[in-house]
Amino acid sequence: MSVAPHIFRRALRSLWENLYLNSVSTAVIASALVLMGMYLTVQHNINIAVTSWSRDVHVSAYFQPEVPEADREALRDSIARDPNVVRVKYVTEEDARVWLRSRVDGLDDVLEDLGPGVLPASLEITLRESGDLNSQMTGLAPWLRPEEFAEVDYGREWLERFEALLSVVKGIGATMGLLVLVAALFLVANTVHLAIYNRRDELEIQKLVGATTGYIVAPFIVEGFAHGLLGSLIAIVCLWGIHTGLAGRLEAALQLGLIPEFGFLPLSWVLALMLCGMVLGIGAASVAVTRFIATAP
Amino acid sequence: MIRLYRVSKTYKDVQALQDINFHVSKGEFCYITGPSGAGKTTMLKLLYGAERPSSGKLLINGTDVAKLPKRDLPRLRRNMGIVFQDFKLIETRSVAENVGLALEVLGTPRDRIRRQVEAVLNIVGLRGRGSDRPDRLSGGEQQRVAVARAIVNDPSVLLADEPTGNLDGAMAIEVMEILQAINLRGTTVLVATHDTGLMQRFPYRVLRFRAGRIESGGPA
Repeated sequence: MSVAPHIFRRALRSLWENLYLNSVSTAVIASALVLMGMYLTVQHNINIAVTSWSRDVHVSAYFQPEVPEADREALRDSIARDPNVVRVKYVTEEDARVWLRSRVDGLDDVLEDLGPGVLPASLEITLRESGDLNSQMTGLAPWLRPEEFAEVDYGREWLERFEALLSVVKGIGATMGLLVLVAALFLVANTVHLAIYNRRDELEIQKLVGATTGYIVAPFIVEGFAHGLLGSLIAIVCLWGIHTGLAGRLEAALQLGLIPEFGFLPLSWVLALMLCGMVLGIGAASVAVTRFIATAP
Repeated sequence: MIRLYRVSKTYKDVQALQDINFHVSKGEFCYITGPSGAGKTTMLKLLYGAERPSSGKLLINGTDVAKLPKRDLPRLRRNMGIVFQDFKLIETRSVAENVGLALEVLGTPRDRIRRQVEAVLNIVGLRGRGSDRPDRLSGGEQQRVAVARAIVNDPSVLLADEPTGNLDGAMAIEVMEILQAINLRGTTVLVATHDTGLMQRFPYRVLRFRAGRIESGGPA
């Protein structure tokens, strides 16, 4: 003889009969997971961007306008011989204009109005991926003098600062996420406790006819699992909707190449979020039921 | 069947029961009576394990309830039917579901529950009322549902706490006749009541309590 069918039937019945309280529990879990998921989506895309930027280790050196064409090509050839340099590309002003036009629609008129000299010619220097930026730059220093170059943009310098800042932001994000989950746990636990309180007479009668603690507790755990599963599914649908909406707004940034892509959470993260929802639902139900059992006759 | 040796129960500084000794044999029908506050309900609570004795020994079928771990209480209660003055029925469940609850907790399959519930509703005179909600029944009928739930798993002991307290004369007699019939089938029945009229109409052994002590009727 097994009590499992009775437990599942009780849980399903209770889910239906206490629709309001169950909806509240599910909504709280869904809200917490949406917050978590939004943070994770941002973090996921920042990770993609940082990885992409890290791979793209290059220096942009912008020529002074008065440097003759022959000197520019000589400088390009000298830099290309540096062992830390993978590739050097000479980008003329016209090349820069073509590139910008191809990336942003409707800029033709603006560029015409601005006239020549707005986009300086440059050397796009690709460095070896592995290697210390400082020593690589020291090696290039003799070539990148202010007499020939108006500005030198070291791509990875800010990236390293950005990564340091990012690790702090990640720490704060993780702490906030944990706090949101704990708050949701207690909110759901209180909602389940309310549901138990409404059914306390029934539970007391179950005890009097010989129900074990497990028999009394199990339907609430099943309900908690259902809240978590449903809440996480709702959260994922909401996150997908938010992602689709934001992706449209970020199109311009994607075109400019400011961010490499704006992807949705990977499947493993989605599954982790669902697991988190189910653990939250079961955990909240366990907390509430344990409180009830401790005080029941 | 049921044996008590020097059982006492104290709530903080109130002595609810003091030095209680009695024995109830298997298949016996026995009243626990006395004025309000005499300790009748406390005595029953000790028997079904809702309260623990402060001292003494309380044996049911050889098991000392006083020392029974909390996790083993369900096992004790599964061999025991309990009827309360206020019926303790679940209002949102049908009569059949209320009665079947005692079998559900044992993991009895649904079709067997249905058969046993029908049989026991026949015994208490509620044939065909299984789908009704308790609030559609009279007080006497609700108490018969409670009795049906108490006996559906064929317990060896039936405890009833003022089972006729909320019923008028005719309904009280109906319920007592059912308890009597159950006792005739071999179930030990203990009824806490202060209804002297019923005790005269259905004469059995009487344990008379007063101020937490047995005044007469024990230990036998």
